[in-house]
Amino acid sequence: MGEVGFVGLSNYIEIFTSDKDYLSGIGHTLMFTVVSNIVKLIPALFLAIMLNEGIRGKGVYRTLLYLPSILPYVIIGILFTSILNYNNGMLNSVLEFLHLGFLKQKWLSDLNVVWKSIFGVDAWRGVGYVMTIFIAGLSTIPRSYYEAAQIDGANFWQRLRYVTLPMISGSIMINLVFGITYGLKVFDIIYVLTNGGPGHATEVITTYSYQLYSSGHYGMSTALNTILLLITAAVGVWIVKSMSKQEVQQ
Amino acid sequence: MKKKVISALLCAAMLTASLTGCSGETSDSGNSREESSGTESAGQESSGETAAAESGQKETPDMDFAGEELSILVSAGWMDNRYDDTIARFEETYDVTVDLQTIPADQYSDILQSKLSTDSCADIFWIQSNPFAISSVIVDPEKYCIDFSDAGWKGIMPEARLSSCEYEGKLYGLQIWHNSPEYVMTYNKTLFEELNLEVPTSYAELLNVCEKIAAEGITPWFLPGADGWQHQLAFFQIGGVYEEAVPGLYDALNGNTATFADNAKMLEVLTQFKELSDKGYFGEDWIGTDSANMANEFGDRNCAMAMANSSYIKQIQEETGTADEFGLFLIPLGDNGSFPTNPAGPTMFGYKGTEHEELVKTFFDFVTTTESLQEILDNSPAYTNLDVNDAGLEQHWLPEEEEFMNAVDKNKMNTPVLQTGTKYTNDYWGDFGADMISFCQNQCEANDVLKNMDSNRAEAAKIAGDSAWE
Repeated sequence: MGEVGFVGLSNYIEIFTSDKDYLSGIGHTLMFTVVSNIVKLIPALFLAIMLNEGIRGKGVYRTLLYLPSILPYVIIGILFTSILNYNNGMLNSVLEFLHLGFLKQKWLSDLNVVWKSIFGVDAWRGVGYVMTIFIAGLSTIPRSYYEAAQIDGANFWQRLRYVTLPMISGSIMINLVFGITYGLKVFDIIYVLTNGGPGHATEVITTYSYQLYSSGHYGMSTALNTILLLITAAVGVWIVKSMSKQEVQQ
Repeated sequence: MKKKVISALLCAAMLTASLTGCSGETSDSGNSREESSGTESAGQESSGETAAAESGQKETPDMDFAGEELSILVSAGWMDNRYDDTIARFEETYDVTVDLQTIPADQYSDILQSKLSTDSCADIFWIQSNPFAISSVIVDPEKYCIDFSDAGWKGIMPEARLSSCEYEGKLYGLQIWHNSPEYVMTYNKTLFEELNLEVPTSYAELLNVCEKIAAEGITPWFLPGADGWQHQLAFFQIGGVYEEAVPGLYDALNGNTATFADNAKMLEVLTQFKELSDKGYFGEDWIGTDSANMANEFGDRNCAMAMANSSYIKQIQEETGTADEFGLFLIPLGDNGSFPTNPAGPTMFGYKGTEHEELVKTFFDFVTTTESLQEILDNSPAYTNLDVNDAGLEQHWLPEEEEFMNAVDKNKMNTPVLQTGTKYTNDYWGDFGADMISFCQNQCEANDVLKNMDSNRAEAAKIAGDSAWE
């Protein structure tokens, strides 16, 4: 390697002005962060509530739901690219077998479906982990709170709104922090499922950064990562501030 | 207080690291170019001396090499066993020993570079060459390579292969490699006959053939887009057609006086590609399909054509047990009639710092005799031919290859494929493929695909310090 030249902010300017559509990569990253948290947190909360009740075999269910989160991404990629294959994938075959052929999709190559597939696989992998944190929070709520609420005539949604959610705000915050940081630096799940495709439809900041670094554009790659750092830092500060505000209120 | 200091230090470290984002790759390459051109001129001075020394040696050739040792540095897979008999004969003929240093492929490049930079290279070394590899891999051939410009064996190499062995008008390398058709259209000949279809030689004929095959419920052209590297071949393997449409295009692209963007023929080919995609002739989901099942698709007659190497025919027949016969034809996009000549291949070079220069030259002469070439070919079960100009050599073409090669106009075999004939193009293979898919999914225009290639090449040229892009 020779000397490194100082080019000022030109890499940053190029990110926002180039034809290469890095902006859509930034947009996709933010979109993934928001949606992936929604599709994981809400189902995980209800699963945690269900499995916190005294249902038979809840330990087995908890384990089964948690298992996908310990699978390596490479395995998940191989597994799901095969399951979601249009021509001979398991999902479309099952749909056809059930006479639901009209629901068949090009899961990883149709622009209207590909993000949904990614969110689906990501939720499958991550929901057990989120659920475990919720269960830990739920187990700290005294039963007497629910009994008192029931005596007062509160239904399920009212108990959820006025007892459960305030009592597990700590768990929600932890999941949000983990989820947002995971979403902003997402790479593996995209790389193994679509590698940013079809075309550039699912490119995120890190896939662009990876490509740039691989082709020797270290400065540009780092500039993209610095933007990611700034976004993560801004979001992090906001979360920490709102957390401390809540603690003061409590 | 301690915490504050640590926080301040961490922040400072982070800020410094983020300054990497303000780095550019231009000036370092500019520097290296200056350095290399400086060395070139130094090399040119010494080349006069070398030439004189060479001519002196020619007058009094010393053919007594008894007891000398010739070392060869090569990556695994480039010589294999096919040179064994020839090397044994060479050792016997000249009473010398050949020390063959075969290095695992993943380590070869690093080892070669370190040996060249420490002036400790073997007498003969190999690189995977292409028309631009000598300058990028060896960097300074004047310093490291023996000049073979006057060698008698120069004529055995076809013109296209010479381009991978020459640099600035001097011959440095010897490339003995096969020329089996690579990534041409492989088709089910039996199926074509049953459907009364003729091999298409133009895009209009291809459309007609695809229409008839699709009407039978068969995918006309199996294209595994999910592999990410195969579908681009439809555009790049027909480089000859672009050069034919705009003579001198390759030189102009390499000299930065022409662009991919706005090239009428390239736009035509991309548009045709999209039309085939839109009509479903690549299959219902070609973008999401990989090549893992391609042989079975052929065997089950689910598809009729695909881009593949000639050796793939044997693979289909062996893996699927099909009784169908297969054949080859040129990719007819853009009404292409050019053979996809690819001058890339493992190439031998003589190390200039050797103490056995005459022995090295004798070895090069020895392996290029008809007897040695025949030996090398006969000991290469995977190859059916050697791409050399030697009428005495008995090639072993497969019947399908022979039929195909006979049908190709010999005048249309000189232009290399676009990806190795033009600088910096191959580096952006994946990006171009992704752009092609975006175009097929109406996410961009055909010219945007070409414009992106231009801007990518310009960036690569900037990093390499290519004066044509300044």
